[in-house]
Formats: sequence, structure tokens, C-alpha cells
Amino acid sequence: MRLSTWEFYLRETGRSLMRNRLMSLASISTVALSLLILGLFLLGAVNLNHIASTLENQVEVTAYLDDKLSPAANKELTEQVRKLPGVREATFVSKEEALERLKEQFGERRDLLAAVEKNNPLRNAVEVRTLTPQDVKPVVEELKKLPGVAKVSFKEEIIERLFALTRAIRYVGLGIAVLLIGGTVFLISNTIRLTVFARRREIGIMKLVGATDWFIRWPFLLEGICLGLIGSLPAVILVGRFYRWLAANVYSTLPFIPLLSPAQVLGRLSLLLVGLGILVGGLGSAISVRRFLRV
Amino acid sequence: MIEFRGVTKIYPKGITALANVSLKINKGEFVFLVGPSGAGKSTFVRLLLREERPTQGQIVVDGVDVGRLRPAEVPFYRRKIGMVFQDFRLLPERTVAENVAFALRVVEAPRREILRRVPQVLHLVGLGHKSRAKPAELSGGEQQRVALARALVNNPPILLADEPTGNLDPDTSWEIMKLLIEINRRGTTVVVATHARDIVDRLRRRVIALENGRVVRDEEKGGYTREA
Ligand SMILES: Nc1ncnc2c1ncn2[C@@H]1O[C@H](COP(=O)(O)OP(=O)(O)OP(=O)(O)O)[C@@H](O)[C@H]1O
Ligand SMILES: [Mg+2]
Repeated sequence: MRLSTWEFYLRETGRSLMRNRLMSLASISTVALSLLILGLFLLGAVNLNHIASTLENQVEVTAYLDDKLSPAANKELTEQVRKLPGVREATFVSKEEALERLKEQFGERRDLLAAVEKNNPLRNAVEVRTLTPQDVKPVVEELKKLPGVAKVSFKEEIIERLFALTRAIRYVGLGIAVLLIGGTVFLISNTIRLTVFARRREIGIMKLVGATDWFIRWPFLLEGICLGLIGSLPAVILVGRFYRWLAANVYSTLPFIPLLSPAQVLGRLSLLLVGLGILVGGLGSAISVRRFLRV
Repeated sequence: MIEFRGVTKIYPKGITALANVSLKINKGEFVFLVGPSGAGKSTFVRLLLREERPTQGQIVVDGVDVGRLRPAEVPFYRRKIGMVFQDFRLLPERTVAENVAFALRVVEAPRREILRRVPQVLHLVGLGHKSRAKPAELSGGEQQRVALARALVNNPPILLADEPTGNLDPDTSWEIMKLLIEINRRGTTVVVATHARDIVDRLRRRVIALENGRVVRDEEKGGYTREA
């Protein structure tokens, strides 16, 4: 297509957006609001998912060993655990190491541990990471059967719940997004319908002097795409600001929550929102062009 | 150039607007289409423009069967035809020059050509000095000249006019008709549907008279009504 044709389209689109100011503004606001809500849901979902997988990758199952085992037996047993089906990693942690860790966790209050320093009450253990959360249960059963394993503990439930929550958020978010996007498409198609009617005369003349159908359609599609694109920008900006603010606060006050960094998520999320805006705008206008632009 | 072969047009409600019309119009001819209201003149024009398709028969223009054009071919066919209406059909918020340029823009003419052709054709219709005016600032005759300029800017070999002087006073009508004659003199085939008895009688061109959708008279150098 000629450059001058694109110029013509852009000028016509601008004209039309201005003529239909109020409807255009309403459409842009709806696009912005829908994408904003969608963006927040997506942020929630990816972060919960991230938190769940981070926890999942931390130690899930700990097998405490019998105190009477020799160091060689400990090593032997760790090897055995490592070979169990569903086990990704098995690490031997001696009771001395366990005490060190405990001291680290107590930090400045390590004096409280002075009493146990002489006579370490902790046990040697094998820490196990499974391949998937579904492997936790069978692995626990297998560990219990091993001679030399005194006790098995695992923190499966919280992870399960997190994953369930992620799934729920994903579905609820998806449902809300579909509704919002449906409404947005409807509003944009309505706006374009109005411009089609406002420009009946022009369309008639265009047909008369031999404009092709696509030449007539393009400005309307462009108008819808513009509405979607313009609406996506405030959504991108607001979602970005909110997330940077949230991340900064979480990092400083709740540092143990493994939130994804803004740099990790915002780029892709922005692209997604802008893309969706364009798609929604194009779809909305395509519907009206199909229904009302009898070319 | 234009040939109707047994053309019948029946509108959906069962009204027969044209009944078995056969005629030929040669390249470079000037033809008046006359007849009482409802005779089928506008239908004749709309069929030629391919706004309607014949119920029966064929319309052949330049060897092309117009009724059988595929939808995608219609725009390119229409570029060969300039069209003028009684109500001018200008875009009110655009200037005269923009209204004329519009016809070139939508067929994606190069910018250079638009810049060259628009003043040229405005000059031809005598409106070179009004190119920046809006249609509302012009008289009826001037508005029709703009419409004529728009119809001609594409250099179409055929010009159709459906009651081009229907909204104009006799003097202005005569000016417009003289312009149509001048355009015809430069080689364009011109078909004018009209009720302007005086002008038809004065110009003595080919007259095709319709009545109830039938050709009742086809005369070289004819008058508005049959001579006694
Ligand atoms: N779109 C349409 N649907 C149904 N009937 C139509 C349509 N257009 C025209 N007609 C009918 O077809 C017949 C011919 O109409 P047409 O407009 O061709 O006449 P005309 O000669 O142009 O008349 P006028 O001099 O009043 O403009 C009339 O009876 C009219 O009512
Ligand atoms: Mg008519």
C-alpha cells in the first residue's frame, strides 16, 4: 500500500476519533480498566505460582536417622534414599550442621542455644527433594520402610494449598478477564458502529468512485485498533507502578516472600497487555465492519 | 461501448422498472434519457453503475458483462464511470479541492497526480478560484460543478448524470448542460437522465424515451417529446 494511503487512513482515523470524542473516551477507559484488572490478576497468579514452586524446591521431606548408625552407614543410607523413585536430590545433614543452621536462624539470640551446645539434641538427617509434589507421599512411605530411619517429616500440605490457590486465581482471573474483554469488545464494536453511521455519506461516495472494500474497511479497523492501543497504555503504566511499589515494600518488610522482580515480569506483561488491547480493538471493529459496513 | 441486451429489472416487491430494454450507445455519444417519473431512468443508471443487477438480460460495457462482475471487480469497473446526482453528494466538512481529491485518494492515486489533476479539473468546471471554499459557501450550480469535477478527476470514459439540473434554476441548468456538452466534445461518452424539456429541445441530441420501463422512442437529434 502507498505511503500516502496510510497518511490518508491516519488522518481519517484521527478525524473520526475526534468527532466521536465521548464514545472514544468511554471505549478507551473500558479497555484501560479491563486490562488493568487483568494485569493485576496475572501478577497475582504468576507470583503465587512462583512462591509455590520456590517452596516446592526447598526441602520437602526430612528423614531423621537413628543415632546409633555409624558414619559409613549414614552414607550408605543416603545413597539408598537417593535411588528411590521420585527423588530428585538427597543430602545428608549431620546434627552438627543442623545446629549451625539453627544458630544462624537465631542470629543475635544464639545465646539461647548455649545450653544445648554441649549436648546436641538434634539428629542426623537426610533432606530429600522430590521430582514433583505428587512424589512426596510415595517417597515418604518408602522412607518409613527403610531400616535406620527413625522418623519422617514433610510439609506437603502448605504447598498443595498454594498450588490450589494458584489454580483458583488462574480460573477466577480467566473468567473475569473473559467477561471484561467481552464487554470491551462489545463497547468498541458499538463505537465503531456509530462511526460507520456517522460516515455513511463518505462510504457511499467512496463506493461510487470505485474504492475497494478493503480500502473502505481499513480506517474503521484502524480506529478500533487505536482505541485498544491507547486504552492499553494507562493499564500498562498503572500496573507497572503498582507492582514496583508492591515489590519495594515486600522486599523491605517481608523479605522471605519470594516475589518476582519487576524487571522479570513487567516487560512481558506490558507486551501482553498492549497486544491484547490491539486485539480487542481490532476484534470489536471487525465485528461492526462485518455487520454494518455493507460494502 | 454500452449495450443493453433484453434487460429487465424487477425490484423485490415485484415492480418492473425496466422491461426488455435493448439498445446500444457508442463511444463518444451524448444521450438524453427522458420519460415521466417512475419510467425507469434512475434504474437504467443504477444498473450501469452496478448498484443493481439486471433480473434478466445483459449489460455489456467495453466488452464486460456488468451483471456478472465479481464483487471484487466492481470497484475497478466503477473507476471507468463518472457519476453525478441531483443532490450533488458532496462532503460538507471538506473543501472543494478536498472533495475532488477524495475521489483520487480512495483509488490510491499517487500524490503527484492528485496535485496535478485537481486544479486542472476544477479549472475545467470554472471553479479554480473556489478550491478552498466549503460546499455550504457555494451556490447550487457551483456545488454541482464540484460534483462534476469529482466525477471527472479520474478521467473516466463514461459520465452518467441522473437529473443533474433537477435542483437548479434554468440559467444555472443551462450552464451545467453546456459543461456536459464540452466534456462530451473532449471524448467522454455522456448519458444524462433529465426532465429539463427546454434543454433537450434546444440541444437536439440523441434522445431515448422510457415509459413504464420500455423504450418508446430512440431518436437521433430528438426533442423532449415526440414531434407531431
Ligand atoms: N429500490 C427500489 N425498490 C423498489 N422499487 C423501486 C426501487 N427503485 C425504484 N423503484 C421503482 O421502480 C420504478 C422506476 O423507478 P426509477 O427510479 O427508475 O424511475 P425514474 O424514471 O428515475 O423516475 P424519476 O423521474 O421520478 O426519478 C418506479 O416504479 C419505482 O417506484
Ligand atoms: Mg430518477
